[in-house]
Order: sequence, then structure tokens, then C-alpha cells
Amino acid sequence: MSCYERLELAWNLKEADRVPCAPVNCYILPHLGGINIREMFMEPDKLVKATIKAREMLGGGDNVDPNITTLNHLSMFGRAGWDQATLDWRIWDDFPPEGNLPSLYEKPIIEDYDDVMKRGFAQALYNRKLENKVHARSIDDFLYYEYEYPKVYAAAWREFVEEQEVPLLMGGRACHPLDMLQYYRGISNLTRDIFERPQKVLEMCGWLVEYESMLAMRDAMIMGAGEVPGAEVIFFINGGPPGMSPRIFDKFFWPIAKKMIDTFVKRGFKVHCHWDNDLTPDLDTMSHIADGLPKGKILLDLEKTDMKKAKETLGDKVCLFGAVPSTLLCYGTPDKVEKYCKKLIDDCAPGGGYVLSTECETPWDSKPENVKAICDAAKKYGQYRR
Amino acid sequence: MGKIADAMAALDKDALMAAVKEGLASNTDPMHLVEEARKGLERVGADYEKGKYFLMELMWAAQIFKDALALITPKLPEKHGSTAAKGRIVMGTVKGDIHDLGKSIVRDLLECSGYEVVDLGVDVPSSAFVDKIKQVEPQVLGLSALLTAAVTQAEATIADIKKSGLRDKIKIIIGGGVVGEINASDFGVDFATINASEGIRVIEDWIAKQKKGA
Repeated sequence: MSCYERLELAWNLKEADRVPCAPVNCYILPHLGGINIREMFMEPDKLVKATIKAREMLGGGDNVDPNITTLNHLSMFGRAGWDQATLDWRIWDDFPPEGNLPSLYEKPIIEDYDDVMKRGFAQALYNRKLENKVHARSIDDFLYYEYEYPKVYAAAWREFVEEQEVPLLMGGRACHPLDMLQYYRGISNLTRDIFERPQKVLEMCGWLVEYESMLAMRDAMIMGAGEVPGAEVIFFINGGPPGMSPRIFDKFFWPIAKKMIDTFVKRGFKVHCHWDNDLTPDLDTMSHIADGLPKGKILLDLEKTDMKKAKETLGDKVCLFGAVPSTLLCYGTPDKVEKYCKKLIDDCAPGGGYVLSTECETPWDSKPENVKAICDAAKKYGQYRR
Repeated sequence: MGKIADAMAALDKDALMAAVKEGLASNTDPMHLVEEARKGLERVGADYEKGKYFLMELMWAAQIFKDALALITPKLPEKHGSTAAKGRIVMGTVKGDIHDLGKSIVRDLLECSGYEVVDLGVDVPSSAFVDKIKQVEPQVLGLSALLTAAVTQAEATIADIKKSGLRDKIKIIIGGGVVGEINASDFGVDFATINASEGIRVIEDWIAKQKKGA
């Protein structure tokens, strides 16, 4: 059975030969593959080679993260607003990084929602609240990395998929508007906005839906959706700002998330919902995630949410994905990882519809033997047909 | 409970501000108004720990408390002169980690509860912690660490504090996403938590005990 077939059966809530295993290996690939961040971002052939080398150390996996995030970081337009804002440019030539991998900075880069809705993000991007290096590139560079480089990048990954017979984790990446706003405004400001001017936040989220959806689908098309296995998947991040109450989730997160999911599926894409934080209190709401949609189009990738409860609440509606803790991968042992994986498999795998994976992503500083233990555990404990 | 505490506990900013303005207009002791608001904030904290409120609501509570305090504070010196803080805490997110949120929530809640907080910001090298501890002599040091990679930085910070002979003079608490899944004793700290409200209670308890012992 091919990796893609195994994953397809899981998406369709069916049992394959075994539980698929797909740790979200992102920055750990260049780290173990021996390249720096600049090479990871700008030299796709090197990234692909580093990925092949690192995958051997990490025990493979049934798909591969093509790091679409790098394309988004290099794009000055589109969702570049938050990508540019979250990228710490000190990492550029370092690995391990002296600076930070892209992370949330509590620095608001937009203040006026109406202005953005009227004039787009250009105003926000050029308000000089971003790092100077962001603006240091030439117009030629901007145009190349916006329009030409994605094709070069896609070609490298297409070759990888054909040679390795391993599908992509995603073809495009979409961000929930509420997540985007936490980067644009900072979580503290967004919290105040949600309580003080909820209608404006909803209006801005509505404006961002189309903006973000179109860009994600464009990326997926460039990556080969319909031809390259896995490129038809939109990776829908990140589950909203941390600490939303069910009241806030139901009003600000869920309706928009469902609208975006429906849009992607109706346009022929699949949706990998990569939702962080503990969403256990929201499982009942999320049980409607596949309402009105054909089977096999949605996967729910959870981080801190109770996976057993998730299986009980919505395991018959959507494929689940996750969630070996990051700390275990960095500070645990293969035995501990194996034990944790066995529990996940026991809780989530019966009947199919489950992919064994990491929390948000495999930390770049994880112990390789611990990451390998995830795939080993899928083979050891995840056999459906003996 | 008065109107101010009730409005605070209900997270109703409009009602809170109206009640504060009413109290000030009727010449109520401004310190009483602050204490009322704090009672409401304590109820929010209790409801957060019970799972009735969530983190975002806790943040909003701290924000509207500060809004109310901005109205009350100018009136305090007239009646009470300058008021002393209950205690002093130095805080910061350790080197290599730029996450601000968790630390800021705890900082805001501590300030709302009457403590002086010296916030060193994010990506703070251990030498900056050591220097600030020497300079302001806090009772408590609060470290924040969200990323897995921050764990080693937190350990390095504590090692430098020990080397500087300061470890026995302060209590150290660490909070942040990565902390909940690792044994607190591994860090060499006095307490580790991922729960802001619990962290505040522990800090308040330490400072209260220290005052009793003094």
C-alpha cells in the first residue's frame, strides 16, 4: 500500500494496512539535513536533498512537509503581512538559530481596520513598523519571489514526490482571519478589540476570508493540486488565539472557519485543519465540521486537545491527526514516546480515521531517535490487518 | 459585594466605569474603590480556575481593571499620599524566546493586585536578570518560557543566578507552555505552572509569608 493510499483511507475514516504516521517535520529537516535557513528558503534543491537525508534519520513518515511557509515568508504581498512580521531575520544565516524561528511578536503592525479594508495591506506593510531588512530587497526580488520562485519551488517538490513516492502534507497554507489578527494586532490588542468592538473584528475577519482563501488555493495550484499527491490539501492554521472561551470560539472563530472549509472543499480541495491550543471545550461545536460536505475531505489536526474525547465526539465525522507532545520529543526517550504513541493509537485508531503525528510541529531541537519512535510505534502498534 | 466588584466580576466594562465614576462623584474613599475592583478581579480569577472563564477573559479583566484604575489613581494621593506596593517582582521571557503573552498576563494581574513588577521584556539574557535582581532586590523572579528550546535557557539563567550568590535571596517561579509537561524540580525553581491564576496565588503567598517572617 502506498503512503498516499494509506493516508487516503484515513481521511475517508477507513482502516488501512496500518495507522499512517506523519510527524509534522518542518525546521528539523534543514537542521538535520545540514543546511541553513537561507538555503532552506531560497534553494529548493538543497532543501529537498536535506529533507531526504533527514527523513532517513527520522524514520520516514507517510507524507512530507514541503514547507510552504517559506514561500509565504518570501512573499511581500499576500499574507506576507504576518509572515514578514513574525520572521526574525537574525535566523537567516544561523542554524541552530541565534534568533527565533517565526514566532508571535506582540507588536501591532496595523491599527486601523477600516484603512486596511479600504486600501489593503500595503499601507500596513509600509508603515515601517517591520524590520528594516524586510524592506531591503529590490522590486525585482519581490516580483521574482512572488511570481516565479513558487514555480521553481513546486518543481523541486514534484520531483521529490515522484522519486520518493511520498505525498506532500499540503499544497497551500491558509490562516484563519482571527489568527492573522493576533499577529497583526497582538493578542492583547485583539482581546480588547473582541470585547470593545466585536462587529469591527467580525467585519475584518469577513474581509480576510476571501483574501486568504484565494492565496492558499493559488499556492496549492502552483504546487500541483490534482497532479501531485498531497498538493490538493490546504493546510488551515492555527486554531485562533490561545485561551478563547467557547463563547468567543462560537462567535468569532467557528463560523468563519466553517465558511473557509466549505469554500475549499467546494472548489475541489481537501482541508487539513491544523488547530493548536486546547479546544476540548469546543468539540461539540466542531462536530459539525463536515456538515454538508462529501466524505474524506477534512482532517482535524489537534495540539493540546484531549484526543480521546475528540475521537468520541467527532471520530465518525472527520479524520483525526496528532498529537505527541513537543516536550516529549525534546526531553523524553524513545521508550516514553512509544508508550505515548501506543495510548494515542489505542484511543484514536480503532475503526480508522486517525493519523499518528506530533503536536503543532516537531521542534527543530527534538532528539531524532524520539521522532523516529513515532513512526516505529505506528508500525508496531498500529497494524489493522495482521 | 458592591456594584464595582459585581461589574468587574461580570467583565462588564461599561458598568464598571459607570460605578467607578459614581463612586468618585460621591467622594467615596478611592482606596475603597480599588479594593472593590480587586474583589471583583479575585472572583474572575476564581471563575477562571473553575473553568467558567478562559484566558482571554482573564486578559480582558486585567485590561478593564487597569482602565478603572486609571480613573481612580489620580484621586489616591489626595486621600492617602503615596501608596506602597505589596511587593516587588522581576519578570521576563528567557533568552531565545520572544513570546510575550503569558508573562504579560501575569504581570498585569500582579500589578492589578498591588505589586510592583519590573518587566524586562522578552529574549532576556541571564546577565540582565542577574543585574536587575541586584539592582531592585525583588522578593520574586518570574521566568517565562514557551518554546522547548527555552528550557535550557531557563536553566542557564538559574545557574547564573546561583553563581552570583542571589538564589537564596529570592523565590523563582517559571511559567509558560513548555513548563507544564516538564518536572518543576528539573528547572531548579521553587514553582512551575502553566496557570496564570495559580501563579499569582503562589507569588502572593510567598510574599505574605515573607512579610510575616520579617
